[in-house]
Amino acid sequence: MLELFTYKPILQGFVVLILTGFAFPITGVYLLRMNLLPLRFMLMHGAILGGALSLAMEVSPFGGTLAINLLLVLLITWMSRSLKSDPGQLSAFFMVLSISLAFIFIYRFQIPAKDSLGLMWGSLYTLNSLEFWGTLLFSLLLILFQALFRHQLRAVFFDADVAKTSGVNESRFYYAIILITAITVAAAMKLIGALLLDALLLLPALIASYHAKSYRGMILWASFWGGLFATVGFLLSLVFDLPASSTIAVFASIVFLLLIVAKKRMNYP
Amino acid sequence: MEHSLIVLHNDQPVFTSDEHWLYPLFDFEQFLNKTDIPVNQLFLKDKIAGKAAASLIVRLGIRNCFIELLSERAVPVFEQHGVKFAYHQLVDHIQCRTEDLITDSMSLEETYLFLRKRAGKVQGTKLLINALTVQVAGKMVIDHLDLELGRGEQLVICGENGSGKTTLLKAILGLVPAANGVIMIGEEQVGTSSWQKNRFQTGYLHQETTKNNFPITAGEVVAIGVSGIKTEKSEREYRVELSMRKTGCFHLQNQLFHLLSGGEKQRVSLARCLCQNARLLLLDEPTSYLDEKGKNELKELLVDLSKNEAPTMLVVSHDSNWVDQLNWPTKTLKNGRLC
Repeated sequence: MLELFTYKPILQGFVVLILTGFAFPITGVYLLRMNLLPLRFMLMHGAILGGALSLAMEVSPFGGTLAINLLLVLLITWMSRSLKSDPGQLSAFFMVLSISLAFIFIYRFQIPAKDSLGLMWGSLYTLNSLEFWGTLLFSLLLILFQALFRHQLRAVFFDADVAKTSGVNESRFYYAIILITAITVAAAMKLIGALLLDALLLLPALIASYHAKSYRGMILWASFWGGLFATVGFLLSLVFDLPASSTIAVFASIVFLLLIVAKKRMNYP
Repeated sequence: MEHSLIVLHNDQPVFTSDEHWLYPLFDFEQFLNKTDIPVNQLFLKDKIAGKAAASLIVRLGIRNCFIELLSERAVPVFEQHGVKFAYHQLVDHIQCRTEDLITDSMSLEETYLFLRKRAGKVQGTKLLINALTVQVAGKMVIDHLDLELGRGEQLVICGENGSGKTTLLKAILGLVPAANGVIMIGEEQVGTSSWQKNRFQTGYLHQETTKNNFPITAGEVVAIGVSGIKTEKSEREYRVELSMRKTGCFHLQNQLFHLLSGGEKQRVSLARCLCQNARLLLLDEPTSYLDEKGKNELKELLVDLSKNEAPTMLVVSHDSNWVDQLNWPTKTLKNGRLC
């Protein structure tokens, strides 16, 4: 099996998956804590739109998904502030709009079904240099952001009003987190696909929230689980010749299920 | 006498001050917190003392003193508390406004707190609200409301549900915009950039906190108090420990916040406010979700706070029994105004 790592695409895929496996669950914790799940759903659909648009224009889907997601986040932020609308409702609106437009592009530009489905399960081994280095850099910046602003983030996640009155610029962190979410979803879509990215984002954070005894513990445990899912899932996919993204998602789901059963039996608080 | 105040131990000066008014005694109080010398072994020499200084000397625990110029009003204070005193000259009274403000009905503790406030030695800051108007969803909730609270003062605001109590607190905190009027916290006007920089000076304790289920330890909750300012790790840990000890919850430091009882959560939340050095404390329905024991504990804690750190405190509550027990000045919010 080790000889497979002599192939550059596999080695690159492995390296980027391990790092994102540790880093992206941090975004998952943000999403869970700030109740941004509707936004994440919308961004998943936005990523499909970006991917479809890129395929239609025959450019890199990574750049397209990133651009569309950032555009959607800016639109939602601007509309929710200027129109005083609920971001959740706006997310639902843009979710429907994005997937509708995506299907129109797929139909009108006759994008092959295999390429369209590729958006759903990702393409870990087809990273170009920009995608590889860009994802690595973003993962490192995400870890750095968490490390540098851990105290302020802890305050924001505990209680937005308390954070504000403690002198934390809560709105700045809110927008930073939304931007981070947009980039994470775009990057994760390229790695393991739009439909499976929760295996790297949400499942590790969800599991951590079940047993973590502190905020610090939640971040560290989420990173640990994400890194474990990515590493073991990737290796299993090589051993059994399965798609990496699906193997990671299945492995993460099994661990999640086992921990839920264990929690019930051990009667965790 | 070279200095305005000299304190001797075994005939050797251990503390001197050249300050005026009551400041040498307050400085001496700080010195006592740092020294191991038993206070009853000290001999205090002061240039001038009236009833205010005598009350402070007694409160500090001094047993022997010499006063150059002593007011007759100070004599009963020394005699009542068994302090041995001598003087160079005894006068009817001394020219001091403070002297006139201390009434005979005031206890030693009340006098002490009054003098601390007058000397600016309390944590509290001034709150001034002028013609405040707040609208929520087009409805006038606060209508040209005026309010003034001095440093270290307390006030309870009662009122029916929906009368605008929480909105008033949120306006003071800058969480709800004012349609009109001015809110001053100390020298800062709410909404200005200088207020934004010192926003941590207002502590907020609200009922929603008790329902929070975020996996975070009590110590981490208290540390939130310093998350808006740059601090060294050692200072942060010191402030967390100190504030938790002050509110009697240090033993809960590593326990999950959401698993604590209602009373314990309020203790931790108050410690958070102390940790951020809040000079104005706003408490929104603090007895919600508390049983009788928790309510009693909270009442005692607030009374202790008002005597020691003495932040300015504004409490909003519709729990009339608890408010009666607290025995603080009370106003009612009705039709958007205080009465």
